[in-house]
Amino acid sequence: MKVLMSGNEAIARGAYEDGVAFASAYPGTPSTEIIEAFSKYDGVYSEWAPNEKVALEVGIGAALAGARALVVMKHVGVNVAADPLFTVSYTGTEGGLVIISADDPSMHSSQNEQDNRNYARAAKIPMLEPSDSSEAKEYIKIAFRLSEEFDTPVFLRTTTRLAHSKSVVDLEEPKRHVGKREFRYDPSKYVMVPAKARERRIEVERRMERLREFAETFPQNRMEIRDTRVGIITAGMPYNYAKDVFPDYSYLKLGMVHPLPSGLIREFASQVKKIYVVEELDPIIEEQIRAMGIEVIGKEAFPYTGEFDPGIIEAGITGAKTEREVLLDRLLPQRPPNLCPGCPHRGLFYVLGKLKVFVTGDIGCYTLSFMKPLEGLHSCVCMGASVGMAHGMDKVLGEQGKVVGVLGDSTFIHSGITPLLNMAYNKSNAVIVICDNRTTAMTGMQEHPATGFTLQGEATKALDFVKLAQALGIENIQVIDPFDIKDTRRVIKEELSRKGPSLVISRAPCALLAVKQKMDRRAPLRVDPDKCIGCKACLGLGCPPISWQRFEDMDTQTEKKTKKQEGIARIDSTICNGCTLCQQLCGAGAIVEVTGDE
Amino acid sequence: MTAYRLPKDPYNIIITGVGGQGNVMASRVFSNMLVQKGFFVTIGETFGASQRGGSVMSHIRVSSKSTWSPQVPKGKADVVVTLEPIEAIRVLAGYGNPAVKVLTNTRAIYPAGVIAGRLSYPSLDEIKETLKKLSARAWFIDATDEAVKLGNAILGNIIMIGALSAVGDLPVGRGDFEAALSRTLPAEKMADNLTAFDLGVELMKQ
Repeated sequence: MKVLMSGNEAIARGAYEDGVAFASAYPGTPSTEIIEAFSKYDGVYSEWAPNEKVALEVGIGAALAGARALVVMKHVGVNVAADPLFTVSYTGTEGGLVIISADDPSMHSSQNEQDNRNYARAAKIPMLEPSDSSEAKEYIKIAFRLSEEFDTPVFLRTTTRLAHSKSVVDLEEPKRHVGKREFRYDPSKYVMVPAKARERRIEVERRMERLREFAETFPQNRMEIRDTRVGIITAGMPYNYAKDVFPDYSYLKLGMVHPLPSGLIREFASQVKKIYVVEELDPIIEEQIRAMGIEVIGKEAFPYTGEFDPGIIEAGITGAKTEREVLLDRLLPQRPPNLCPGCPHRGLFYVLGKLKVFVTGDIGCYTLSFMKPLEGLHSCVCMGASVGMAHGMDKVLGEQGKVVGVLGDSTFIHSGITPLLNMAYNKSNAVIVICDNRTTAMTGMQEHPATGFTLQGEATKALDFVKLAQALGIENIQVIDPFDIKDTRRVIKEELSRKGPSLVISRAPCALLAVKQKMDRRAPLRVDPDKCIGCKACLGLGCPPISWQRFEDMDTQTEKKTKKQEGIARIDSTICNGCTLCQQLCGAGAIVEVTGDE
Repeated sequence: MTAYRLPKDPYNIIITGVGGQGNVMASRVFSNMLVQKGFFVTIGETFGASQRGGSVMSHIRVSSKSTWSPQVPKGKADVVVTLEPIEAIRVLAGYGNPAVKVLTNTRAIYPAGVIAGRLSYPSLDEIKETLKKLSARAWFIDATDEAVKLGNAILGNIIMIGALSAVGDLPVGRGDFEAALSRTLPAEKMADNLTAFDLGVELMKQ
C-alpha cells in the first residue's frame, strides 16, 4: 500500500517493519514524531527519557541484552549523549543499536546549526543519510543490519526538511527479529577500563577499515552517469534540490556519509570533467575528497550556513543571481513566533520584565519572552544553562543584585537538577523559576517524569518538584499561579529580597495542553470602546488577539476620554483565550467578557 | 496511474499562514486528496518554533511522473493559498511569478511588533491592490468570518481548501475531500467540514 509519510513517520515505520522492539528518546524538533509514531505500533516498547544521555544509555542496555534498539534525538541532543556515545563505539552491542541524529540547517527550531556528521567522524561510527521518506524507511533497516554485521552503533542522520517533508512510501509487512535476549558476561568487550579499552580501540580502527571497504560496493552509494561535463557529489536532501535544477548532469549520490568510498569517488572523478560537492553546512565530504588529491568545487560556490534550496544550487553552479529578491518583503512587518494567547509564561515574564531583573533563560517556548514588549529574558545557551549561569553570575556580581534563572518543567528535568544541587551546595543567592506548564510544550505536548504519565499515557510516578528541591537542600520554595499578576510580582520580589537560593514554581497548564485535554474554556474577552482610555497597558503583554486602533483609521466615532487619547485597544475574540491578564492590567475596567449573544 | 494531465508538471502549491492556524492540517488534507487520485505528492514543511505564531509555509508539489524536492524553487509557485493576508505578499515576494494565482483569507492576525505599536500593518485595500499586482488572478475570501458563523474559526482552513479545489487546475472535489477526511475524522465532525468545504467552493463563484 502506498501512503504519504513524513521522514519521521517513515523511520518509525521502517523500524517497526524491521522488528525493532525497543526505542528511547528525548523530544526535540525535528525528531519528536519518530517515537510518537513508533509507539503506536503493535508489540513494541518505547519510552521518553529525561534526557538524551539517559536515552542512549537505556538503548545501549537494551541492545546489549539482545534487542534491536532505536535511540532518537535532535542534533544538540547528541552533545548531551556524547559521553556514552564515544565509548559505545568501542564496545559495540549484541542487538543492533541505531542513533537518529536530526540536524537543523537554518535553525528552524534550534540554538545552533552544528553538523553532526562531525560526530560520526569523531566517534568513528558509520552514518547513513536518506533523501526522502521512502529512503528513510529503507535506510533505517540497513542501519540495523550494519550495526549487527559490524558490531557498531550506527547513525542515521536526518535534517529538518527530510524529517518534516512528506512523500509517498510503500508499506511492507513487519518481520520478526529473532535476537536472543540474555545476560552477556564479556568483560573484555563491555568493561572499558584502560587495559580493555586499548584492545577495543584497535578493533574500532579495524572495523572502520572493513566499513570503508564495504562502502565501495554499498548499493546506496550510487553513480548516475549522464552528461559527463558536470558531476555532482551529494547526499541527503540536497540531492533532490540538485536534481530539480540539473536533471541531466552526472551524480554520485552517497547513501553513507561516513566512511566515504574513496575508490568509487575516484572512479566518478575519472568519468566527469568538473566536480561540484553539494552539501549543507560543513565541507565534510569536500575536504575528504580534496585530501585524496581530487579537485572539486564546494564551499566557494555554496554557502556554509543555512538550508539549501534548488535556487541556491542553481546560483552556485551557473552563477545566476536568485531572482525575485523583492524589497517588498522587507516592507512587511516581520512575524517572529510569539507566545500563544492564554500562555501561562506571559504573566510571569511580564512581571520579570517590569522588575528589570537579569534573567538567564533556557530552551523552551518561554525563550520567546526575550522580545519586545515583554523583554523578560536575557540569555539562552542550552538546556539547563539558566540554572548554572544564574549561579555563576550571582557569585561574581554578589551585592550588585540577584539574578533570576528561568527554565521549563521538562528542561529542568532534562538538565536543571544537577545545577540546582550545585546552587544549594555552593551557597548560591540566585532565584530559579520553573515554568511548570505540565508538559513538554515546545515540541508538541510530550509527557515527562513530572506529568504522571508515560509515553503511552499510562499513569506512573510523578516527580514532585517541591520535595525534590527540599532534598537537594533548597529551603526557600514557593508555588505561584502566573495568571495572577499581583501575586506573581509579590512572590518574585519576596524571593529577590531573601538570602540564599530560592525556587519558585510557576504552575499553570500550557494553553495548548488545556485545549488538548478539553479543560474548561474561559470566556473570551473584548474591549468596551466606551470605557477604553487608550493607555496601552494591555498592549505591554504582546498578546496576539490585542491590537491598537487609531481613531483616524476607525469608521465609527468613539468618544475621546482624554485630550491626548489617540485610539483604543481591540481584542480579536476569536483567538482570545480569556486568561484575564489584560483585564488585570486595565485600570479603566474596559476589558469585559464576551457574553453569549456577542 | 492517473490519466489526468496537469496544467504544469510539477504543479506547485504553497499554503501559508501563521503558526497555529492549521497550515499543516490543511496541506495534509489537500495532499491526501491528490494521493488518492494517484498523483506523486511531496510536501515540504518545517515545524517547531514557528508553530508558535510565526510565519509558516507548506509546499505541495504535485506530479503525475515522479517525486520532486520538497521545496518549490523561488519564483515557481502556481497557486498560493493563504490563511492570513500579509503572509500572501511575503510568499509572492519569494515564490510568485506573473502567472501565479492567489487565494487569500481576509482576516488579519497582527504580528507582535504591530501589537506593540512599533510596526504598522497595511490596510486590507493596500494588501488587495498589491496582491492583484503580483498575481495573474487573486481571490479574497472571508474564510474566518464565515467559519465563525459556522461556529468554529478553525473551519476557515476547510473553506480555503474548498476554494482551492474550485480553482479548477487539479481534478479534485467534494468526493475526494470526503474520502480523505473520513480516514481520520470521526463521523460527527464530517457534516461541519463538508458544509465548510462547500462554502469555500461557493465563495469562489462570487
